Amino acid sequence: MPVAKQRAAIPWRRWSIALHRDIGYLAVALTIAYAISGLAVNHLADWNPNYRITKTFATIAPISAQTSPEIVALAVERLQLTAAPAKSFRPDPQTLQLFYKAKVYHVDLPTGNVMIESNVPRRVLYEMNQLHLNQPKRVWTWVADAFALALIVLAVTGLFVLKGRLGITGRGAWLTALGTAVPLGFWLLYLR
Amino acid sequence: MTTTFLRSAAATVAFVATLASTATAQSGKDYGKALTLKATTPISAILKDPKTYDGKRVQVEGLIVEVCEERGCWIRIASDKEFESIRFKVEDGIITFPMEAKGKLVVAEGVVSVKQLTREQAVAQAREAAKERGTLAKFDPARVKGPVTDVQLTGDGARIK
Repeated sequence: MPVAKQRAAIPWRRWSIALHRDIGYLAVALTIAYAISGLAVNHLADWNPNYRITKTFATIAPISAQTSPEIVALAVERLQLTAAPAKSFRPDPQTLQLFYKAKVYHVDLPTGNVMIESNVPRRVLYEMNQLHLNQPKRVWTWVADAFALALIVLAVTGLFVLKGRLGITGRGAWLTALGTAVPLGFWLLYLR
Repeated sequence: MTTTFLRSAAATVAFVATLASTATAQSGKDYGKALTLKATTPISAILKDPKTYDGKRVQVEGLIVEVCEERGCWIRIASDKEFESIRFKVEDGIITFPMEAKGKLVVAEGVVSVKQLTREQAVAQAREAAKERGTLAKFDPARVKGPVTDVQLTGDGARIK
């Protein structure tokens, strides 16, 4: 082979390894964040991945006052709350809702049954989910698009990192085929 | 090597802290598309005469009294009159309302949708709502009256104050 032709050839494997390595470093944090968030939001039916919602129940003496301000004052007193609510609402004549920061009291006025609902964000997981589901929109859309492209580059360059019997012409081909067969098979069997 | 790692970690923390301080400096928050209408319509007016508003785009303002627990895909807004509220529904994923929105004021825009529900449909809707609220165990179908006129807003933009 002439020397001039050897120099002109693109060292594609070296480029592939370099791209895979450097993009891998750049993408590692977001890959882990998105993967954890993916696990969390996959099971929406079983739990709330964003908030720890607790509902506890209490009973106070029934409230039979007539006006809303009187009803609110009595409920606050009987619930032994130290501060007035930020807001209150009566969805129907029998129910009073008191809104506090991260806490809502639902009072059934004729029975005095109270449901106390509190919502606390699951720190870190909440933020990961927000990013994963592109809640910030705007600039984050560009970041997420760039990340998606980076994952494609990582996947393709990853095929060519190794050569020989462990590379794409050997064991790698079988594993790649297996990895492709899983979504393809699922699509053919369940989604068509 | 340790120095390089520590420097890069410190730079990351500084960057994130800057972003966080910018985010917390904002007052009020917009969700979805920008609001376009200049005037708000009282919720009580919509509920009093829903047929007049059916299919029309309106802007409403009120207290958020409920948020969809599962996906944050709807909120219930209190009317300007007692014992009244209206559901503001958004397409899944377009807007996700945070649970912290409960008890805050919102200005929201959407199209009024009016449906006649039989008692069975009203019970099914109330059961679904109880499930989303996590109060299904205490759900009593006997308390649901029907047939009912279901009025809701299908929206794409809101500002929580």
